[in-house]
Amino acid sequence: MSTPVLETENLVKVYGKGATRFDALKGLTFEIHEGESVAIVGKSGSGKSTLMHLLALLDEPTSGVVALGGEPVTALKPKKVSQLRNDTFGFVFQQFFLNPNQTVLENITLPLKIAGMGKSERNRRGMEVLEQLDMADKAKNKATNLSGGQKQRACIARALVNKPTVLFADEPTGNLDTVTSEIVEDILFGLHRDHGITLVVVTHDEDLAAKCQRRLMMQDGEIVTEEHGATGVHA
Amino acid sequence: MRSVDVARTALGNTFRSKLRTALTVVAIVIGSFTLTLTSGLGAGVNKYVDTVVAGFGGSSQMFVMSTGASDAEPTDGPAEYDPEAAASTGGMFGPGSGGGVLTDSDIEEIEQIENVSSVDPMVFVSPDFIETPDGAQYDMELDVPANALGLELEAGEAPGEDGMELSIPADWLTIFDTEDAEQVIGETVEIGISNVTGEQSTVEAEIVGVSEEALSGIGATPMPSRELNQQLNDLSMEGYEGQAQNAYTMAVVDVENIEANEQGVKDALIDQDLLGLTVEDQIGAVQGVIDAVSWVLSGFGLIALLAASFGIVNTLLMSVQERTREIGLMKALGMSSGKVFGLFSMEAVVIGILGSVIGVVLGLGAGLVGNAWLTGEGGPLGAVAGLTLFAVDPLAIAGITALIVFIAFLAGTLPAARAAKKDPIEALRYE
Ligand SMILES: Nc1ncnc2c1ncn2[C@@H]1O[C@H](COP(=O)(O)OP(=O)(O)OP(=O)(O)O)[C@@H](O)[C@H]1O
Ligand SMILES: [Mg+2]
Repeated sequence: MSTPVLETENLVKVYGKGATRFDALKGLTFEIHEGESVAIVGKSGSGKSTLMHLLALLDEPTSGVVALGGEPVTALKPKKVSQLRNDTFGFVFQQFFLNPNQTVLENITLPLKIAGMGKSERNRRGMEVLEQLDMADKAKNKATNLSGGQKQRACIARALVNKPTVLFADEPTGNLDTVTSEIVEDILFGLHRDHGITLVVVTHDEDLAAKCQRRLMMQDGEIVTEEHGATGVHA
Repeated sequence: MRSVDVARTALGNTFRSKLRTALTVVAIVIGSFTLTLTSGLGAGVNKYVDTVVAGFGGSSQMFVMSTGASDAEPTDGPAEYDPEAAASTGGMFGPGSGGGVLTDSDIEEIEQIENVSSVDPMVFVSPDFIETPDGAQYDMELDVPANALGLELEAGEAPGEDGMELSIPADWLTIFDTEDAEQVIGETVEIGISNVTGEQSTVEAEIVGVSEEALSGIGATPMPSRELNQQLNDLSMEGYEGQAQNAYTMAVVDVENIEANEQGVKDALIDQDLLGLTVEDQIGAVQGVIDAVSWVLSGFGLIALLAASFGIVNTLLMSVQERTREIGLMKALGMSSGKVFGLFSMEAVVIGILGSVIGVVLGLGAGLVGNAWLTGEGGPLGAVAGLTLFAVDPLAIAGITALIVFIAFLAGTLPAARAAKKDPIEALRYE
């Protein structure tokens, strides 16, 4: 089997102290391999987002280790962690988080701007991704003027623009109608298939979960079952 | 993120809520406007004073006055009369001159001081009238000839050492029924003066110059030549019974190599209960006052800036709060805390630059227009020769701009630190 791109060991996350202490994650150990598509599923409040944030190095575990490409990241400097996120990860958040005052192109090239890329190169890469997602004609539109599905596609474009090795998506279809959901799902799995991107999807949408190669079922901060093989229609 | 992108993004963000930015900027504009105006005012007036000083040339002269009846011990009741320390109302020239007059023995003592090359005692005479060729008589006060160095002339030349000469102020031209200063040059006037017995006599004098009034007041009254002054003094002393005790208002002392010996001579004078002042000392006192006034005014400008800086803090804190999600997103996408801090400080700096540039431009405009109006032809202060109330001092302007930008930056650090500290997860959860 290929090397694990992400692995965790005894991952624990505790919120609060004393009486308000809440164990959101209770010691998770698993691996995600390069080019895999993994769904994290479970009831609301089971700790899916918390886990994703830890995997994506957005948050620090209370104890345990997250390793990226075999290297533990817990010890890294914050600046290095920021850079890692910028280089290797793409994020599709549950909400769109698009800047309404900026154009679609400006919005989706934000990761490149943060990376310190020059404007013309940014825009070239941005347009490339927008074309890939059939959004090129909306490049100059203000982000507010997009439909829900277009906004979600813009978010995916933003996640892809830095050519990430791992794409994290938290409820990517959570606030879309079924038709648009399907389009977004097709895009995600198309990328996974054609570009070999590792896909980590947090969802409670059974359909979406079924299309992933592996499903981690969570309950009360623990992985209760793990399913292999895409059961759904693989796009 | 590249610096150019930080700057561009900060600029864009500043104009996102235009009204709020505008209001914050207005507060800074008020401060920078005030500072520009006050510093320009100080620079302008000081520049004028400098030209007055330059008029005196690199003078090697020192003006010596008596510090007063310091020989007499402080006593209860009336002090014993001491003819050596004849009290008078004191000279008109400079501070600290409210003491006594100089006597012949004082003059001798001054002559003994090392490095003093010559001593020229000055008397202050008060003639009764001046009579024009057509017979009309006018009240007059005379300046002392030592002030001739500071004379600003509209026509002719300053009255010299010898010859019965005098200059008249420009606004006296009316008594000659003319507006052309050149026309009165060469006119002869008679000056009347009473002696100690009350008997009046007259001398003739030639007008050699027409003066404008300088800031120092020199040129506002007629100025006699030394010879004329001496003659008038002699006339006024006529009929004095007994041993004439000469009394001088002050003495003009020439000092060799004044740069090096100034302090030594001054110290020696103090030992004699005399006060020596160079031209620079006197002008320096004036400049000190001007500087003090412009600093006080600048203080108001600084207070305005202080208030404005809280405006910046407030505006940016609101901005940080509003943009919590945006900050969270940027941090999630890999922007370092340092860059987030830089971005928000930059926004403060942009506001500072905007405010200072607008304020400086308005201040310069107001100062230059005001100066032109006040001191120009027909303006309220137009009569004062060479007066500048406002001068552009590029160094001061640069200093003001730098100061304001720095203050803005400081004000921005608190909100910027807030923004930098935001946890991306919490920021993204923020509703
Ligand atoms: N900052 C926090 N402080 C305290 N408790 C927290 C915090 N963040 C999350 N939690 C708690 O941790 C638990 C897991 O939250 P998490 O967001 O991971 O759930 P989830 O599985 O993503 O749920 P959903 O499907 O509704 O998004 C929840 O009970 C939540 O209340
Ligand atoms: Mg969640």
